Amino acid sequence: MDDLESELREPGEDQVENESSDDESINRKRIKKPNLPLAPPVFKETHHETGFHKTTRICFQHIREALLHHRWENATEYMASYAQTLEDTTASMSQHCAEIIWRMGTEMLHQRPDSKLEDYNSFYERIKNSGVKHYLKVCLEHSFHLLVNGQFEDAKRQLSNALSWRYGKQLTSQPQRMKLVQAYSGFLDYFVWCDKKNAISSTDEYNAGTNQEMHSYFRQSSVNLKEILKIPGVWDPFIQSYVDMLEFYSDHEGAFAVLSDYAYDSSFPPNPNAHVYLYMHMKKHNHPSKKLLKVLKILHTLVPSHELMLEYCFLLLKSEKEGDLQKALGVVLDLLDYVCWKRNLDVWNQLMTVLEYLMLKDQWLVVIAEEMSHRKDWWLAMHFSKFQARKDFAENTELLDVKSSVVHALCPHYASIYCSACKEAQKKAGNALNDFKTAKRDVKPRKGKRRRKTSVTQKKYLQRRRVERQRQSFLKAASKRPHLPVRHRRELFVQSSC
Amino acid sequence: MAMFFIFFILTQRITSIIVSGVQAGGYSAICGQCGEVDWRVSEEGRFYCNSCHNVIERTREEVDTNTLMVGTSRVSSISKGIKGKGLERGREWFVCEGFQFILKHQAEALLAMGVSPRFKDEVLCQFWRMYLQKSRQAYTKNPVHDGKFRMHSQGSQESGCDSESPVPSDSMMSASETDGDASGAGSGSGRLSGDEVSSVCSGSKDAVCYLTPRQRRNQKLMSMPKTLALCHLALLWSREAITLADLLRFVSQGHIPYVNAYENFPEEMKLYGQDSIIFRVESIPSHGRLHKEARTLAVFLGLPPFPPVTPDCLLHPSLLTVRYLTEANLPDELHDWVCRIMMIAGLASDMTFEPMRSRSPLPLYDIQAAALIIIAMKLLFKLDDNTEWDLSNYSADQNKDNPDGNNFSLRRWYRTVQSALTKATQTQNDNTARKHWKSEKPLYPSRKDKSVILKRRRIAEQLQLSFQKLSRSPTAPAPSPPSSFCFRWAGEGETGRDGPSLHHQTLDSSVCRRGGTLQPLNPEYWHPAPRACKTRVSTSHYAEAEATLPRMFVWLLDLFSFLLGVKPGCVYDQVQKLERCILRNSKQQPGARTTPRKARASKPGDGKQTGKTCSR
Repeated sequence: MDDLESELREPGEDQVENESSDDESINRKRIKKPNLPLAPPVFKETHHETGFHKTTRICFQHIREALLHHRWENATEYMASYAQTLEDTTASMSQHCAEIIWRMGTEMLHQRPDSKLEDYNSFYERIKNSGVKHYLKVCLEHSFHLLVNGQFEDAKRQLSNALSWRYGKQLTSQPQRMKLVQAYSGFLDYFVWCDKKNAISSTDEYNAGTNQEMHSYFRQSSVNLKEILKIPGVWDPFIQSYVDMLEFYSDHEGAFAVLSDYAYDSSFPPNPNAHVYLYMHMKKHNHPSKKLLKVLKILHTLVPSHELMLEYCFLLLKSEKEGDLQKALGVVLDLLDYVCWKRNLDVWNQLMTVLEYLMLKDQWLVVIAEEMSHRKDWWLAMHFSKFQARKDFAENTELLDVKSSVVHALCPHYASIYCSACKEAQKKAGNALNDFKTAKRDVKPRKGKRRRKTSVTQKKYLQRRRVERQRQSFLKAASKRPHLPVRHRRELFVQSSC
Repeated sequence: MAMFFIFFILTQRITSIIVSGVQAGGYSAICGQCGEVDWRVSEEGRFYCNSCHNVIERTREEVDTNTLMVGTSRVSSISKGIKGKGLERGREWFVCEGFQFILKHQAEALLAMGVSPRFKDEVLCQFWRMYLQKSRQAYTKNPVHDGKFRMHSQGSQESGCDSESPVPSDSMMSASETDGDASGAGSGSGRLSGDEVSSVCSGSKDAVCYLTPRQRRNQKLMSMPKTLALCHLALLWSREAITLADLLRFVSQGHIPYVNAYENFPEEMKLYGQDSIIFRVESIPSHGRLHKEARTLAVFLGLPPFPPVTPDCLLHPSLLTVRYLTEANLPDELHDWVCRIMMIAGLASDMTFEPMRSRSPLPLYDIQAAALIIIAMKLLFKLDDNTEWDLSNYSADQNKDNPDGNNFSLRRWYRTVQSALTKATQTQNDNTARKHWKSEKPLYPSRKDKSVILKRRRIAEQLQLSFQKLSRSPTAPAPSPPSSFCFRWAGEGETGRDGPSLHHQTLDSSVCRRGGTLQPLNPEYWHPAPRACKTRVSTSHYAEAEATLPRMFVWLLDLFSFLLGVKPGCVYDQVQKLERCILRNSKQQPGARTTPRKARASKPGDGKQTGKTCSR
């Protein structure tokens, strides 16, 4: 039996504040504390502190210090005497302390090199017995730990223990936690189901008994998973497993309904994955592209940098509708706003394609100007600086080519900057090679004269070698690319011959 | 003669209840084998039928706490309500009986430390009897718990037992020694009328009386701090060398039972319910509180003047300062100066305490001695953060010039003591953090809470064990034997843990001979400006003054406050009090040559030292 009434009371922290004498509050007003973002102290020294509370306060400080300094052994020692706080007679504190012991004790167990699973098990069992407030959370954590250690059956047993717990409806937050425990239990059932499915598919024999068993797991799991999907939240693993099972039993309509509920229910927090799952599902089942576009449009507003945006752009290009071309341009440009896509060849190619399509139209300049209007001041500077040109030249010349053709279409002014930088870089590379060659020629005859008048220092020599290496790789790459414009190849040839 | 407790005596040891404890109290299902209801509990805690010896799948609640099975969430509510009420109740007893047990154990612990045997039988026991009579709990015709029960005089087993007439307490020093060991619990000859059980939930008969608002208000009834106050008074009366600070230190180190002292009660005295409020201890009283409590108690008891504390008694400042000088590793020569100050302050004569005189305070021997030493240090070294370091430079120079020189250097002393003090403070802090307050046998305020509290106890114990196992090192530091000293300074050829001893050093470099008497080299003395205190109740001004005081002086206060286990403010107040006393006395006899010259009041923080030397 547990002392429910006292546990269910909220911790009376304000009460402690009020107890402090008036003098203190006056002092506090007078001495204005600097407004530092410090965490409030967990235990404050109060005016009428008992010896027991003093002991626990100091002990807590010691544990904290030991934890912060990674003296785990030391912290464990103090923890042994901190356990007596559970017997605190002030009602609200003992629950607070139980949580502290739970969190810090787990941390200590994790940090010990030779913690065994038995230690964890016994620790969790004891913590579970220390109060009702954290029972479900501790149960979940315990089963997670068991799962991590491959104890699937034990983890399942933990969850079913938690489900059959009788104080589950005492707190307002507990029914929700109970649902979460149910969901995880359903999730584990799904894994069992998966195992059965694999077993069946590997033997290729129809076995009515196994099938029956599998179906019962499906029912058990789907009941639990369905429950949690009614509560607003982010339930990605649950929904994936649920949809997987539904699809196995060919309930595509049901799966679609679940997924669209998950994506479109406004009480749920906005979750891009919901739309991704829906899109994938629809794509798999060949839904019309109009509907796919609708899903991707929402995803675009949620995550403009999502990788599916390339597909979105592709679909927009394919569609015949008026204005979709401009949308496609917007989508690609949005992608390129993000640094992660900055050097992605596919995106630049896509942009080039969009531009090519666009150029066939009459008013293509107006459209481009419209799209570029709000990013003119920074977008070009981000992509087409001299530095970028040199970098692109050094790393990916194909990208360099695409980009230079894009910039010609978008903004001729920047094209001059970018392309001149390109040329400079190319020239430099050629010169360096020449220098290197002459240097090599110069150095050779002096070899026997013990570097009497070495004009080329070691450092410069190394630098040139590096440039030469880059050049070699560049030539190699160029020879592999048949679609490289002829102009470039000629240039290269000219440079290398001189 | 005199039985110690006329009231609390029970002729019948309630054997039947004890027997029913062996029986499987409360479990009243019919045996499946023979149909009888006669369950017993075997040694392993299993239930078995007494008539057919059929063992059933049911165990008693108290399972070994260490063997919590892993992987099961065993719920401890299995045996709720199994135990019979009779077992819980035990025999009937009174609260003061419990206190008597505690006092007895405390006295025994003190005896084990070498206090003279007279202390227990002739002093503490008498004080306790006086207390019982004064508070009308025993030796009286109209007891404080009137109306609840009447006494039947059995009066046959023990000679001279007369429950009707109160034992006269006037002749307290001539009281009998038969039951001096205060074991009133077993020697019963009175009997409570009927088997009436108070309806209130408590183990003792009269816990409710103790907790009525009226009784709480007048604070005459016993409480846990009062047991220590009584011990302190008894120690003072018998002029033992244990000061109040020592007593408190022994208590906090666990040498004297105080925290969870009820654990030592005999088996049949059950504590629960309201008793827990009376007997549960969650802190050790402060020095100041206990001092006040002792004084109030002495007045309440109407004690005659205490035997005078003569200079040959260890409590007298002249000897107590020697002890504290040793403790603080100060040179023995300083004692002469302390004695001179003592003379001026008027503490050299016999000291006594007369509770019935309103202007006679209970002396704070320990703090007074510390204050005397601090004043002596101030006189010799000024302690204004300047002079003392100049003087130590001077003495270091002298030691350099003369290799045999053994001059006391304050800097060296400071360094030695400071490192020891830091270490000791850390150890003390550590011990505080590891101190165990909770008992093996937890008290529960109501029967409703019993299972919860027992469960918490079990879990706390299990967690403690598992963490101990994980840390793989003994958590409890080895208990040190009781000692009057906190520090151990190494003498010649010894190894002490705290540093070398400086007792043999001389003060030659700090004093000079002028006009035939030794005078301190430092000509000035400072003290904080005296000011009128507006509040009627004297409160410590240390918190306000601390920032303006020289650091060295504050450090010295800290040192002594650590040694005595009091707040620095207490020592500071005592220093000020003695300084006032000295000022007054030296004004009255201006011609006194031995007088250490007093400066006019000046604040060291003011920048100008108005300290004035007297005649050179």
